[in-house]
Amino acid sequence: MSKIEEVYQLVSIGKAKLVPAAVQGALDEGNEATAILNTMIDAMGEVGDKFKRNEIFVPEMLVAARAMKKGVDVLKPHLTTGTAGANGKVIIGTVAGDLHDIGKNLVAMMIESAGFEVIDLGVDVPKEKFVEAYNANEGVKIIACSALLTTTMPALKDTVAYLNGQDFRGSIKVMVGGAPITQGFADEIGADAYTTDAASAAQKAKELVA
Amino acid sequence: MLTKRQNLLETIRGGHPDRYVNQYEAFNIQLANPYAINNPRPKYGELNVVNAWGVTCSWPTGTPGAFPVHTPDKIVIQDIENWRDYLKVPDVVYPPEAWEPFVEMANKVDRNEEFVTMFYAPGVFEQCHYLMEIQNCLIAFYENPDEMHELIDRITEFELAFAAEVCKYIKPDALFHHDDWGSQTSTFLSPAMFREFIKPAYMKIYKYYKEHGVELIVHHSDSYAATLVPDMIDMGIDIWQGVMTSNNIPELIKQYGGKITFMGGIDSASVDYEGWTREKVKAEVERACAECGTKYFIPNASQGLPMSTFPGVYEALTEEIDAASKRYFK
Repeated sequence: MSKIEEVYQLVSIGKAKLVPAAVQGALDEGNEATAILNTMIDAMGEVGDKFKRNEIFVPEMLVAARAMKKGVDVLKPHLTTGTAGANGKVIIGTVAGDLHDIGKNLVAMMIESAGFEVIDLGVDVPKEKFVEAYNANEGVKIIACSALLTTTMPALKDTVAYLNGQDFRGSIKVMVGGAPITQGFADEIGADAYTTDAASAAQKAKELVA
Repeated sequence: MLTKRQNLLETIRGGHPDRYVNQYEAFNIQLANPYAINNPRPKYGELNVVNAWGVTCSWPTGTPGAFPVHTPDKIVIQDIENWRDYLKVPDVVYPPEAWEPFVEMANKVDRNEEFVTMFYAPGVFEQCHYLMEIQNCLIAFYENPDEMHELIDRITEFELAFAAEVCKYIKPDALFHHDDWGSQTSTFLSPAMFREFIKPAYMKIYKYYKEHGVELIVHHSDSYAATLVPDMIDMGIDIWQGVMTSNNIPELIKQYGGKITFMGGIDSASVDYEGWTREKVKAEVERACAECGTKYFIPNASQGLPMSTFPGVYEALTEEIDAASKRYFK
């Protein structure tokens, strides 16, 4: 097995301790840093697909994302600035009044693993903070908001309405998600995209900026 | 007419119930006990209340329940390899006089009509991630399996000590035990990992209750967990409460009815929302009853207590289930 194949394999199964050496080995074999990065993105794509099919579960996805992160750390000095997040920036957060973070974190990890730079605002995020984050960062392509409770769906609606009223709205896409959210609700509140799980969110993010 | 208790037993044994068990009607849930009153929980609108285990919880206004707060400074077990240094297990043994008011409350219940039902939450899995933060916890199942086994053993030991006190003083007929094992569409852990870490704890805990006079084990997990049903049966769970529609309940009833009963079938999010309507409640009750039949099934919203987030929803469900009983039990 070549080193680059080994990188793919080790990221897929979440071997965070072994990935850095494998990435270094792949570099030593003469592989381009961007090729190694794309290999890891592909590996995470496979992880996401398996998660969607319930073949693997949250812990497996977490350890794979962590393994990729370790690999990216080794690659960073070899990449042109910004290559690791070449698809653009994504601002993400759980809306005001909602403290749930695991779903949002999984989406953040999968989107980051798909080649985006993620600005994670955390949980219980007031709508104004999403706009502040946009104004403070160049190259934001997507704002992703989640609500995990039926009681915070109105806060999601408010947040999207607030974003829809901004001058920059035409230059970004708004993604929404969370357990009680449906495609119908996403359409009703004027979001650009809704997905049911973290892997699909990463795939959708790539499509939105393509 | 059967009593609520008799009707429930007929339902779960595949006998001759004369109506649907209407949500939680057969359970007289005992939330209070000496441990619980010394284990602070946030009231509605209260933030950052530290419980007896050191876990910080908040219940923000406008949300349906309390939730652990895991900013880095508030995580109890900062390092799983040294969990013993961080974990302080609260007292569970209290003098008989501390139990007196709760024994008195339980004694007022007509046990022919209702089950005196002891409440316990959070369960083993939830206690782990309350103490550790969920991502740290899920990763530790992979990276520190020995320490996770030890931590789970310690939590189990506590639950068994609590069970001993409860069975000694309250002598409950049923246990209502919460532990969410999944999201809407999947379990958090793979079934194999669940069997390695979580199942053995419940084999001990539920066995203890059953051997000490508890007739019914009701386990709450408002999630997908269909792949864990055979394990639930092994653990001694009689009723899985909170079962969501994503589990394909009619198929589960066909496969496992007689060994376990499914309580739920109405996802809270589908009926309990701002601007809820009676028509939607009625339609959801009708769908659930038509799909799931009259045996091994208790129609109920997936919420883990007899309540709803928005006023009137629980009562509307109760009335519509009564109406469904008239249609399905003739």
